[in-house]
Amino acid sequence: MSGERVYRHGVAERVTHWLWALAMLVLVMSGLQIFNAAPYLDASDKSNPQRRVLAIDAEMRNGVPVGTTRVFGLTFNTTHLLGYTNDGMNGESPRAFPAWLTLPGPQDLADGRRWHLFFAWALFVALVVYLISAAMRGTLRELVLRPSDLPKLLPMQAYYFRLRREPPPHGTYNPLQKAAYTVVLFVFFPLIIVTGLALSPGVDAAMPWLTPLLGGRQFARAWHFVLMALLVGYFATHMVLVLSTGLWNNMVSMITGWYRLKDHDGVGP
Amino acid sequence: MNRRIFIASSLASLGLTACGPVKEGLTNGPFRGALLSAENLNHAVFGTHGTAREYADADVDRDFRVNGLDTPSDSRYAGLAKAQFAEYRLAVDGLVDRPQQFTLAQLRAAGDRTQITRHDCVEGWSAIGKWRGTPLARVLAMAQPKANARYCVFHCFDVDQSGTPYYESLDLHQAAHPQTLLALDLNDKPLDADHGAPVRLRVPTQLGYKSAKWVSRIELVAGYENIGSGSGGYWEDQGYEWYAGI
Repeated sequence: MSGERVYRHGVAERVTHWLWALAMLVLVMSGLQIFNAAPYLDASDKSNPQRRVLAIDAEMRNGVPVGTTRVFGLTFNTTHLLGYTNDGMNGESPRAFPAWLTLPGPQDLADGRRWHLFFAWALFVALVVYLISAAMRGTLRELVLRPSDLPKLLPMQAYYFRLRREPPPHGTYNPLQKAAYTVVLFVFFPLIIVTGLALSPGVDAAMPWLTPLLGGRQFARAWHFVLMALLVGYFATHMVLVLSTGLWNNMVSMITGWYRLKDHDGVGP
Repeated sequence: MNRRIFIASSLASLGLTACGPVKEGLTNGPFRGALLSAENLNHAVFGTHGTAREYADADVDRDFRVNGLDTPSDSRYAGLAKAQFAEYRLAVDGLVDRPQQFTLAQLRAAGDRTQITRHDCVEGWSAIGKWRGTPLARVLAMAQPKANARYCVFHCFDVDQSGTPYYESLDLHQAAHPQTLLALDLNDKPLDADHGAPVRLRVPTQLGYKSAKWVSRIELVAGYENIGSGSGGYWEDQGYEWYAGI
């Protein structure tokens, strides 16, 4: 079976995959633009420095500007990285995230919001189309974790750590991939959409139970940020695995749909 | 990994900020049109239904943050403030059958509502204030808007450093919301100059920039294209969304 080419991803799945990849990139970068306008997170309903869990700041120490990042009461010097960073004008200024990470420009809250709210819709639509298409083609059931996959998770991790010669037998996706895709698609994405909605005063008025459920307005902002960090972490892992399991084969399959099977790759769920 | 992200995002930032034609296309071309369509979608989906959460006295931020512009430098405003706004009149005119000039006493007499609501700033911070004032709907009803009136435009005393006057607008549906107030008091005291004395708008179902301070005149209009730069408000003219419910 190894070396055989199989048609793995339908057109709608491939198009929406790249669309939500783009939407994610823009959402993260425009989101950091929005975060920069109030670069702290409070576990509270209203802004409350007593319940501050993250603060990115700049201060003068002995006449030298220093960028500081305070997480759960611990302060780190993060000059050049966070707090006192590149301002996009060949210099550095007090700003939480550097200019090259914020869209659509070095400092533009108005347009940053417009980009964020537009690409939030793009991500939402792409996700829904992806899920419907994958469910209709039957590929969704290949990547969702099932109870029968649970005993295979540890052996698969052992194989990744080279503690085991062979991975447990699996279908199109191995049990760890399934776990990651399931959590990202059915936990992280819905939660980041819900926490984003909870930041909107209009949604607060229409669905008054939502924001208190998340611990309040500022707390929802903190959850939204944490979910962003988790999704960036997922993206980093995704990239490492795409690169280490055959960049060419993976890219070809995500562009043309055709995937060349490797050792241990099964077909089906 | 970090390097990949760095390179990708540097290219993106560079491409979007340094490259003239690309930037032009993104800020004025069809992409801009698409971006603006999301605002209409948000307005249609989220709207201004329901009521903002109201809080208890204990939740109030007694030292309510001042943001944006502080006490207007306008000389007309300074004169009124010096006399404790005894000469202040709130004009309600434009497309109305009965134009009005309200004194502060008349405004207070027109109705009374207290709301303890959260103010969510577009920058990301939130504060809770106790606002007391007159529901905007009562004041508008007394002026009897004409059938073709669609928006109320709030003209304010303030001008920025370049001399641009501050204004805001709501459609009549948003204006009729029971929590949309012409606030006179904050935290049991008459508004101070920094917080918008003597009258400010209070719209708890939308972001803070909708709650214009220092209101001097409410003009009913069919459209706001010819006011300011035509986007419906001072901040809207700088690129912020007119619908600030999200």
